[in-house]
Amino acid sequence: MRDGFQVVGIRQTVKPPVPASGSRRQGKPVISVLVLLLLVVGCLTCDIFVQRDPTYLDLAHSSVAPNREFVFGTDTMGRDIFSMIWYGGRISLWIGLVSTFIATAMAVVLGAVSGCASRRMDGVIMRAVDILLSVPSLLVVILLQAVLGKAGVLSIALVIGVTGWMSMSKVIRTEVRQIRNSGYVTASRCMGGRFFHILWHHLAPNFISSVMFMVIMSVRTAIVSESTLSFMGIGLSVETISWGSMLSLAEQALAQRAWWMIMIPGIFLVTTLVCLTNLGNYFRRRVNERHSNL
Amino acid sequence: MINKRHIEVLIQKVLFFLGSVFVLSVLVFYVSRLAPGDPLVSYYGERAEKMSAEEREWAENKLGLKDSIHVQYIRWLQNAFRGEFGISYKYKMDVTEVIGGRIGNTLILGGIGFILIFVLALALGVLCAWQEDKLADRMICKVGTITSCIPEFWLSLALILIFAAALRWLPSSGAYSIGKENNLADRVRHLILPLSVVVISHLWYYAYMIRNKLLEEVRAEYVLLARMKGLCKRQVLLGHCLRNVMPAYFSLMALSVPHVLGGTYIVETVFSYPGIGTLTYESARYQDYNLLMLLSLLTGMIVISCNMLARTVSERIDPRLRMDDRRRYEEVDRS
Repeated sequence: MRDGFQVVGIRQTVKPPVPASGSRRQGKPVISVLVLLLLVVGCLTCDIFVQRDPTYLDLAHSSVAPNREFVFGTDTMGRDIFSMIWYGGRISLWIGLVSTFIATAMAVVLGAVSGCASRRMDGVIMRAVDILLSVPSLLVVILLQAVLGKAGVLSIALVIGVTGWMSMSKVIRTEVRQIRNSGYVTASRCMGGRFFHILWHHLAPNFISSVMFMVIMSVRTAIVSESTLSFMGIGLSVETISWGSMLSLAEQALAQRAWWMIMIPGIFLVTTLVCLTNLGNYFRRRVNERHSNL
Repeated sequence: MINKRHIEVLIQKVLFFLGSVFVLSVLVFYVSRLAPGDPLVSYYGERAEKMSAEEREWAENKLGLKDSIHVQYIRWLQNAFRGEFGISYKYKMDVTEVIGGRIGNTLILGGIGFILIFVLALALGVLCAWQEDKLADRMICKVGTITSCIPEFWLSLALILIFAAALRWLPSSGAYSIGKENNLADRVRHLILPLSVVVISHLWYYAYMIRNKLLEEVRAEYVLLARMKGLCKRQVLLGHCLRNVMPAYFSLMALSVPHVLGGTYIVETVFSYPGIGTLTYESARYQDYNLLMLLSLLTGMIVISCNMLARTVSERIDPRLRMDDRRRYEEVDRS
């Protein structure tokens, strides 16, 4: 005891008056949402402000460093990186959304079925999910992609979605188990509600808050998977522009020390991911609202 | 202390393990063979494209690719039980030898990475919980969120660009320079970049977990009691709270093995580090069936056993999880 005696466990019982201005935005990921909106709107409306064709191979100007004419420079094939960023962003974000939609739909249906099913059925489904979870997902993606043949935007979204629903379905199952015996579900059953009716009107509103975080994180994972796969040369080909496929030229860029070909798509990618994470964390239950006892 | 119940549980676990490995082997075998691609190219290289129909048939017969896929699977299974996993098409060696030559590198990268993550995450988590909502905590949280968002492959690229291409401090690929295989300093130099990618990309996820768990723990009533009886902040945080968090951390770390391993694979591919990650990637892309089978089984087995380990640890900590299903459901039904 340095200072002999210390008072512990006493806290203010009267809340300090919250300053009126800015209180509504307190703790909300305003900046992330704004940046995200900016990126999305930019990608959707890029036809208006992008002058160059992102697919045009300007061989006279290949590997040009950022300058006034080419704001972000050009890649080794002479394509303008500035326009590629916006058109590629469309594909990247689209893949993120589509595969999340697929994963969420599968997770909700399977999780709800498992949660409502008999004990044995539930056990079977959950063991199957455990096994699927134990297969390294990168391997599954590579193999599935090989089966589907040449990678297109939809096929890659499908592959990522199909491999990404397992942990979400476990969470949903637990939630459904807890609410399926409540009075309102029984009442709805008695009135002749079908499975999907109950799922949509009674179960989903209850587990949506706990799943929201996972949904947003799954967008993030999907974007990362797409870019990793395209970078490794298993995903989208170089002709289909996405943030990942832009980085698949990285090897040549490294040889030429063309930092802009690696850094610029990467910074856009990471910014999107950070914003998504902040948004997702907002939906997660906050732990430190109460006072610390320490 | 061993009674019937223990044996039952043990048998159950072994059965689950074997079942999972079996399902995994079927899955990988069928999917890899149904995938388009020519395994002969992997074996004969470019010569395969110039082969006449008869030569092709002879080669396929030799490699046992002519039979139907079920026959092939059963033959593979029989051989596997005798410990023969076939030869790698690309390296023309026994697959166990190919893997044996490479697995050490992966274990070094993954193992050191794992230990560093484990220790650093603990330290960072405690630091953040200690400084809760102060400047240091907020800064670390911000930086941590950003680093945990950076995809591994891009982090690798950025580091190569900075430290290998621009500054020329560190080598950009491989595990050793040619002719310096036994030079420790050289190996360490090659390890720095891949290792930092593995650590940086996973560190914050676990540090954040520790931080949040500690913050929950700090709000328990016993902390107040401990403080009232005169323990200082440090004693309570490290002696009581951290102690209560540790078991959950161990089970989390067991679960983290697959993620770290997966990360190692990607990092290996970017750095062309000769480990089993690059090997898996090559074999999946170029239809090196036997090699791919053993590699995926190996990875799968590590993942499955780590998951089971994590489950056992958390059951030890929280005996409620161990109750057999029926009682658990009755409890849920009642509530």
